Amino acid sequence: MYAKLTSVPGPVAAMRETEEARGDSPAGLGAAGDRIEIRGVNRIYQGNGREVHALSDINLHIRRGEFVTLFGPSGCGKSTLLRIIAGLDRQSSGEVRLFKQDPLDASRSKNIAWIPQSSSLLPWLTIRRNVELSARLNRRADRLRLTARKPERPMQVLRELGLGEFADKRPAQLSGGMRQRASIARGFVQGAPMMLMDEPFSALDELTRDALQLRLLDLWEKHRKTVIFVTHSAAEAVLLSDRVVVMTSRPGRIHSIIDIDLPRPRPAGIEDSPAFGELVRRVKATLRAGWEGA
Amino acid sequence: MAAGLFRSGATGRQLAYAIVAPLLVLAILGLLWQWVALTIGSILPPLGKVGGEFIERPGFYVFHLGVTLYAGLIGFAIGALSGVLLAGCIVWFPFLGPALVPVALMLNATPIVAIAPALIVAFGFNAIPHIIVATIAAFFPMLINAITGLRSVDRGALEVFDAMSASRGEVFLRLRLPSSLPYLFSGAKVAVTAAMIGAIVSEFTGTTEGLGAVIVIATSFLNLTQMWAAIFTSILATLLLIGVINLAERLIVRW
Repeated sequence: MYAKLTSVPGPVAAMRETEEARGDSPAGLGAAGDRIEIRGVNRIYQGNGREVHALSDINLHIRRGEFVTLFGPSGCGKSTLLRIIAGLDRQSSGEVRLFKQDPLDASRSKNIAWIPQSSSLLPWLTIRRNVELSARLNRRADRLRLTARKPERPMQVLRELGLGEFADKRPAQLSGGMRQRASIARGFVQGAPMMLMDEPFSALDELTRDALQLRLLDLWEKHRKTVIFVTHSAAEAVLLSDRVVVMTSRPGRIHSIIDIDLPRPRPAGIEDSPAFGELVRRVKATLRAGWEGA
Repeated sequence: MAAGLFRSGATGRQLAYAIVAPLLVLAILGLLWQWVALTIGSILPPLGKVGGEFIERPGFYVFHLGVTLYAGLIGFAIGALSGVLLAGCIVWFPFLGPALVPVALMLNATPIVAIAPALIVAFGFNAIPHIIVATIAAFFPMLINAITGLRSVDRGALEVFDAMSASRGEVFLRLRLPSSLPYLFSGAKVAVTAAMIGAIVSEFTGTTEGLGAVIVIATSFLNLTQMWAAIFTSILATLLLIGVINLAERLIVRW
């Protein structure tokens, strides 16, 4: 066995249990500035004269350098939560602090790298120019040194992702998997301490997806960014993460948080291990329990 | 299209389809034309006669084409540029859209045949009325295409820009404008055609120069050969202009 579960499927209490167990609860807060804090976040949309509760009472703390996955069915609000953290959407109530910064301040300081679902590369630029994009946008933040980011060398990151020889190609000349790798490279080159990834592999075939997960793990081991990753796939969540946040819908809320205590770096073939299989089953069972209880 | 097929390594069948198919359609239309011309001569002149008219008096058609091109191209340039600028303003300041688009729609619905004489009364017997008509004709297709293009931005890319707090100027210049180029070129092809038609229609009144004037005068003398020679001149010139825009598109929009 690689790991044991430190939280059990159940309501938010399970999450609190986990946090308290590691002294991570609001009461036991030591270095509040050294983590992402989401407290009592609600998101309500108004439409056709009625209110839709997209997120309800979301509480989550993420430590610096942690890889956390938001996992759940469509419509559970995981992308909404990610967009709120990125400053692309605003919560109706509650508080979000990203290493002491408000999401909008973090965005103004270029401290957030956003990796969308589709690669969203600019088709008129070469891959190299695409990954250098962050250096050309919002230069005020760099000039005034508002940012905590440390830009990486574009060619180095491209080489790390196996795209070195394609740096001068345009996105249309690359396969879907390579484009997605370039999108991830763009995020890493930005050098932001936080990377928010919204189902970046969902449009890829299984083989490409598997290969990209391993590339992402390698890159994360080297750079140790704080990553919040959204996915529909339990296996992907277990393979990549330190913790999996299981969300349920109507309204979107955190059902429980599961620690993934597999070794880092993840050894080759870990997906075939009993511990991995057990964790995937646990994540799925937790989701199912949340679904049935919703 | 054929050039694109050669570049992209198309199969022989695709090449044949791209080149032979349009030639075949043109040949069928030409035969149909000849049949009508030889059966009912008062409707269409034989194609050989129209070709002979060109060969006999090339300078005549080049001169009148030059007059039409002058008004058409200046009108196209002003109409296209103002269409793009107004589209930029509407996208930058969304509150301007509801105020300005209905006015643009009204302008588009203006019967240009009817306003050409009014413009001649206002501006006199010179090129200005023809340029104005060509401008009005070119403006709307460019405006609509530019608005669509500037708004048709990859949502994910916009989020990447927003997540870095890119300024509105950066979003506009580095994302919206390049994204809109295919739409701008499509709009330009429609606009240049509209500008040429506008220039020709405006030459129906108040002038003895330009292809529009040649068409009207030839019609009044029942000179079908000259009328069709002028019409073919305008078609060829417009196709050439569309070809130039296509070439520019190939050079600039390389993705």
